Amino acid sequence: MKKKIGLIFNGVWSHYAFAKATKYRDIYELLYVHDLNAESLKRFDALAIPFQSNQKALSKHKNLIYKFLEDGKKIFVEGDSSSEWIDAKWEDRPVNNYWWVKDPNNPPVSLTDQGHQIYLGLKARHSFWHYHGVYTKVPEHAHVIQRNVDGDVVTWQTKQYGGTLMATTLDPIVEHGVQQITHLDNYCDRLTEWLVDRKPKGKFEILKADYGVTA
Amino acid sequence: MLKALIISNGIEGLASLYADTENIAYHIVEVEKDFRPDLSGYDVLIVPNGSDHIAMYKIRDKIAAFLEEGKTLICVDGWFTDWVPGNRWIMDNTKKSIETRYRIKDDPFGISEQFSAEDLTFSHGISGWWSCGYIEPARDATVFLEDTWGRAIVVIDEKTTKGLTILTASGPAADFQYATTDDLKAYTAMSNLYKAFVKLASSRKLALQ
Repeated sequence: MKKKIGLIFNGVWSHYAFAKATKYRDIYELLYVHDLNAESLKRFDALAIPFQSNQKALSKHKNLIYKFLEDGKKIFVEGDSSSEWIDAKWEDRPVNNYWWVKDPNNPPVSLTDQGHQIYLGLKARHSFWHYHGVYTKVPEHAHVIQRNVDGDVVTWQTKQYGGTLMATTLDPIVEHGVQQITHLDNYCDRLTEWLVDRKPKGKFEILKADYGVTA
Repeated sequence: MLKALIISNGIEGLASLYADTENIAYHIVEVEKDFRPDLSGYDVLIVPNGSDHIAMYKIRDKIAAFLEEGKTLICVDGWFTDWVPGNRWIMDNTKKSIETRYRIKDDPFGISEQFSAEDLTFSHGISGWWSCGYIEPARDATVFLEDTWGRAIVVIDEKTTKGLTILTASGPAADFQYATTDDLKAYTAMSNLYKAFVKLASSRKLALQ
């Protein structure tokens, strides 16, 4: 049976657009955050928690999230998060969305661990477009993968909960769903391979029939 | 003064985008499991960018009843579920944002005097970042703003229900807008467009009284 990723979802359209796109729809499955339970998570090998998630709702399911990690599985968290459920402190920062117009060869990142499977071989501009805030505190044994030009933590990872928890203030899933940054196949395909060892195939096509739905 | 209810999806920073003014007072209700908000007592229902369209679909009966009372719905988000009477939002990635321009189509409400479509089109000189996809409008709805390809981007519908429905094709709009750009002209355009929406809702409330 092919491995699948549960995309925890609070009804936001960009999450939906990503998960329904032809390229990813066989690998990702939407899991409505208000309906999460232990049974619904069992059949997934990895979870993705996108930017613009409902942090209060996630906090109510904190035990489910850490049980998933205890089972040795992977969780990817993007954008903001809440210390109500994650042992880290996220703080907001202004979004620099225009460096690629003003100085395209110098994204505002100072460090990237190019040895991480997601970042291996990625060009700088493919591994860092913009970020939503920074982490001012990360778990004790976390490995920092990316920092911004001010030295703040943007991406980190830890295995101290059993499985692998990776958190980043980048927003690849939301932005790929939005489809206005054209190179995010690079990051999202590698993310998918890292999570479940499956390579997405084909184009990111949006099917009109998926919109105006009655469910 | 208008009384508005904002449906919150628990997303950081929402309250700062909608601050009370002399024209409108806001109350925020958060989506939870088995969400069934009480809409009575409000003149305007606001569904902001980043909303929960699974929850909205579950309360579509309440939305329809709210509009039948002649009240105003403002949705500035991509509603992929069918909860907005008569109008449908479609996500689409076949058009290039660099080719996107917004232009006024029909303006019986005088909104074009209150904001700049040019400023909405460009942010730091880059076009087409304000909204995604397009709206398939209800038959008799007014298409206020369209894009390069003639697709509806802002729709104002007074015909499908007894109420007023104001829709953007996912383009964010609020009293104060900073989240999607730091370009003064671009976020002023978004804010001015939103203020024009509020003015329309105020006119409607006065007409109902």
